[in-house]
Amino acid sequence: MTTTRAGRWAGRSRRATQAAVGALATVTLLAACAAGSPASSGDGTGEPQDGGDIVFLIDSLGDTWIPNNSAISSFQGHIWGHVADKLVYVDEQGEVSPWIAESWEQNDDATQFTLHLKDGVTFSDGSPLDAAAVVANLDNWAFGDPDAGISPIGLFPKTYDHAEAIDETTVEVYFDAPTLGFVPTLGYHGSILISPETLALPAEEQADLSNDIGSGPFVVESWQEGDNVVLTKRADYDWGPEAVGHTGPAYLDSITYKLVAESSTRTGAVRSGQADVAYNATPQELSSFKDEGFVVAVPRYLGFVNGYRLNTQVAPFDDTLVRQAFQHGINRDEILRTVYTEDWSAAEGLIQSNVPEATDHSDSFAYDPELAASLLDDAGWVEGADGIRTRDGEQLALTLYPNPYLATSEAIDELVAQQLGELGFVVDIQAYDVVTFGERVTDNTSLSNYEVTRSFIDVGTVASILTDANNGEDWFGLGESDPVTNDLRDAVAQATDLDARAEAVDELQEHLLDQAYFAPITQIVQRIYVQNPQLHDVTYNGVAYASYYTAWLEG
Amino acid sequence: MRRSTSYLRYAGRRLAQAAAVVLLAYVFTFVVISVLPGDPVTNTLRNPENGFTEEEIARIVAYYGLDQPVVVQLWQSLTHFLVGDLGVSLRSNLPVARLVAEVVPSTLALAASALAVALILAFGIAYATQNLPRRYGQGLLRALPSLFLSVPAFVVGLLLIQVFAFQLGLFSVIDPDSAWATFFAAVALGIPVSAQVAEVLITGLDHESRQEYAAVARSRGLGQARLFAKHLLKPSSLPVVTVVALTVGELLGGALIIETIFGRTGVGSLVQRSVSTQDLPVLQAVVSLAAVVFVVVNLLADLLYPLLDPRVRPEPAPEGRPALERSAS
Repeated sequence: MTTTRAGRWAGRSRRATQAAVGALATVTLLAACAAGSPASSGDGTGEPQDGGDIVFLIDSLGDTWIPNNSAISSFQGHIWGHVADKLVYVDEQGEVSPWIAESWEQNDDATQFTLHLKDGVTFSDGSPLDAAAVVANLDNWAFGDPDAGISPIGLFPKTYDHAEAIDETTVEVYFDAPTLGFVPTLGYHGSILISPETLALPAEEQADLSNDIGSGPFVVESWQEGDNVVLTKRADYDWGPEAVGHTGPAYLDSITYKLVAESSTRTGAVRSGQADVAYNATPQELSSFKDEGFVVAVPRYLGFVNGYRLNTQVAPFDDTLVRQAFQHGINRDEILRTVYTEDWSAAEGLIQSNVPEATDHSDSFAYDPELAASLLDDAGWVEGADGIRTRDGEQLALTLYPNPYLATSEAIDELVAQQLGELGFVVDIQAYDVVTFGERVTDNTSLSNYEVTRSFIDVGTVASILTDANNGEDWFGLGESDPVTNDLRDAVAQATDLDARAEAVDELQEHLLDQAYFAPITQIVQRIYVQNPQLHDVTYNGVAYASYYTAWLEG
Repeated sequence: MRRSTSYLRYAGRRLAQAAAVVLLAYVFTFVVISVLPGDPVTNTLRNPENGFTEEEIARIVAYYGLDQPVVVQLWQSLTHFLVGDLGVSLRSNLPVARLVAEVVPSTLALAASALAVALILAFGIAYATQNLPRRYGQGLLRALPSLFLSVPAFVVGLLLIQVFAFQLGLFSVIDPDSAWATFFAAVALGIPVSAQVAEVLITGLDHESRQEYAAVARSRGLGQARLFAKHLLKPSSLPVVTVVALTVGELLGGALIIETIFGRTGVGSLVQRSVSTQDLPVLQAVVSLAAVVFVVVNLLADLLYPLLDPRVRPEPAPEGRPALERSAS
């Protein structure tokens, strides 16, 4: 069940690799069209038309449908986004706006929040989505019911204490420490509002999607495990987020999510008009679809960029000079040219540039092979006749582990291996499937690096993962050894003021990149949509999910 | 009278054997999956995006009983299985019986259609090799089975989809259970199976047509077509029954690939999803089911033999076991 492949790239000619990826290198694209919210798809203008049914082809429908356990899945999020609502809406730029919560206030130290709910919102079974229902959901997100097999939702603030329903439409939420990230987290894909009756069901019954009652613009008409989910419009829906410019019922009558595992079958079906959207096409297919007039959307999610976490405890990255050489030895333009299309962009720092707190730090890790070589010289790694650097008889060797959650990861690692090979590194590539990767690479502190693909909706919720404090993941193996990182981490996590926090995020990025704890590669696009041009006004939210609530079919 | 008692005893022994095979398959699946690192619940919970504490993970793992020693887990799963409780899927949290019941009809329809396609193709080719004059490409016909065997089913499948679904619009990948879609999936799955059947059949026919009785029949003016239908086909079909019984495994295995390509949801796609997530209860149920199918089909094949060839009859062996063998002719 393990696919392992080791490629040794040191000393290989540049031309060989270029030939290997030559098929991809020709990809040049015309226009990107995934920006903006709502993102208009296609050139079609005019008034939205009611009616129509669309078919969305997807490569997996995830695992369980227990709302808490499944909402993190990047496949099931598509369905939850139509069946359930959220308290707030977070758009592609990370901007938070009202949805089921009309307005909110917080105290000065961000430990207590008051949510004011929209009046008259109901779940599809007719029961009210009132303050009591919101409290039930908050408790469920924060604590789950581990003894009954129901987990809390990922990334929900661990500082949550409790919530109270003050009246029908007012909820008071209490935290035991400042939690500035609370409100944005309510727009994350995990925070879906589900009927308290559903939440009271045992795990086995929650796992039956037909039992999962939400308040969203669509309801589950039918479903078959691992095959399809059919959603139909809810006629009395009237509480869409204002930010998408539409609040009444959806225009489309139905959406059918159908699992088609084979990528070429998915895109072929859209090309032949049998389906309207194909999810997860390969970057190399996109230009031909654009040429044929199809809509291609590559929305970015809010989160970390794609890059390498470097482990300061493991050779060769226990040496700052080697880490810096690694950072400056990666040619990001070449990666963008060969692996991706024009729709992708280079990393500007640790976080995606659409995150509100993002600032440009690209100078601190720019490609500079001469600088990288001199850094390695300074560190005592001497280049031999065979082009390989050694120190005390030891080779400058490392292994890269392509992240199986990102389809292009292996191609990127092959290019990086070749680029570093020119600098005198000996680079192996070890590719694993998802299960083995989870066993051998994730959480393995003996490896020198880890390739990051990770979304978040609020930067405050993730600062704590950088070190080992508060169950942190200790990304760089620093423990508590670097006081500057610790102070900045705390400044971000415990900030009570957004401007002060943005400043701390900027300083934290600068410090982490200067110390070369992290080597960014590119901004990440994990969701690629190829779409029928007759379908208009699709919106993409902060985690890059397509919403067809605002969409309509022409003709 | 004596014959029927011995037959019953024989049937009883075969049933006991079958039950043992199914149980062994069940335990074997458990052992194989258990030695793999990790389990689906922990693998999901340990996704770093979740950020769960060790304590939370431990409590959820305990809910699924995965914190118990392997022997205890096996015993619990086995005792439930023996009273017909297949348990709950670790991946989808749905009852395994429901998951299996949902996918079996589709795979049965596909396998049965594929078998029909395979038999029609095989008998058609075999008939043609006996009746087509050599100069009209008989050699080419005889090469067909090897060709069928060497082209992977997924290539045929993708080609069929490209031409008949996308170009001609005969069927839609959105509705893979429609008649046309099932037919083309059956063709892709049936072609390699037909090759094996055809090869065995051609060999049998060649052998039979060299027999004296065939020459006699010809000399008495019996036409080639009648000779084929009335005399050659029946004895040549005997080994075909064995081959068909053996191809059941191939049909189930091939269904995995064909179902994936045609977007069908069946046993194959359920296995694929369960293997990739180490969903033990589902895998145990499916493997046991496959064992049952295999045992039953082979039993049926044994029972079919005497009907096809009267020279084969279940005779009580000295120790009371009927010997299914050809008597000397």
